Amino acid sequence: MADRAEQILAGLGGSDNIIEIEPCITRLRTEVEDASQVNEAALKAAGAHGVMISGNVVQVVVGPEADTIAEDIEDLR
Amino acid sequence: MTRVAAPCPGRVLPLTEVPDPVFSSAMVGPGIALDPAPEETTVGAPVTGKVIKVHPHAFVIQGEDGVGILVHLGINTVRLEGEGFEVLAQQGDQVTQGDPMVRWTPGNISGEGISTIIPVVALDQPADSVTPTDASEVSPGDALFDVAG
Repeated sequence: MADRAEQILAGLGGSDNIIEIEPCITRLRTEVEDASQVNEAALKAAGAHGVMISGNVVQVVVGPEADTIAEDIEDLR
Repeated sequence: MTRVAAPCPGRVLPLTEVPDPVFSSAMVGPGIALDPAPEETTVGAPVTGKVIKVHPHAFVIQGEDGVGILVHLGINTVRLEGEGFEVLAQQGDQVTQGDPMVRWTPGNISGEGISTIIPVVALDQPADSVTPTDASEVSPGDALFDVAG
């Protein structure tokens, strides 16, 4: 699971790119500094069902383990 | 096969009518949506099983055959930060179909981008695994859909 968090963190452009990350029941809602650093293919390779980017808000659909992944990502930052 | 029961009274809608791309495109799994009556209602467990997650606005129960059923009370309701929802179950609880999960009054819920439509989703199941009810309105406990497997 921590590996998956690492991959998702990397796919979001790394720790420095993340302003805020908030888990919902099926997705991570992330505010990023620079959306162009988000690697959608890497996020999907990390198991994301989908990625939605709107301005600097990135939603990564990961399923119901979203809050566990968000905690793991916070631990890595 | 898992029979998923209606968690509350409402009008049956296809997932494609849910105003959220994650649900309308069945990204987390296939299912059905309910447009709930506005009155106060206690949303019940759609299946017998274990409570995997419970948030004020959403919960997941893993049925006895392993399929996770997500009930999401409204769209963008996470923004309400629990206001208007009374959680009646705990993560890890063993529940029986119909057991009280969350109490809310859909008619009192409003806000920009917020809808009270309730997607009920079989998580991570193939798109063709769900057979929905023919009914256009359901009462709590009525069959909502069957999940193959």
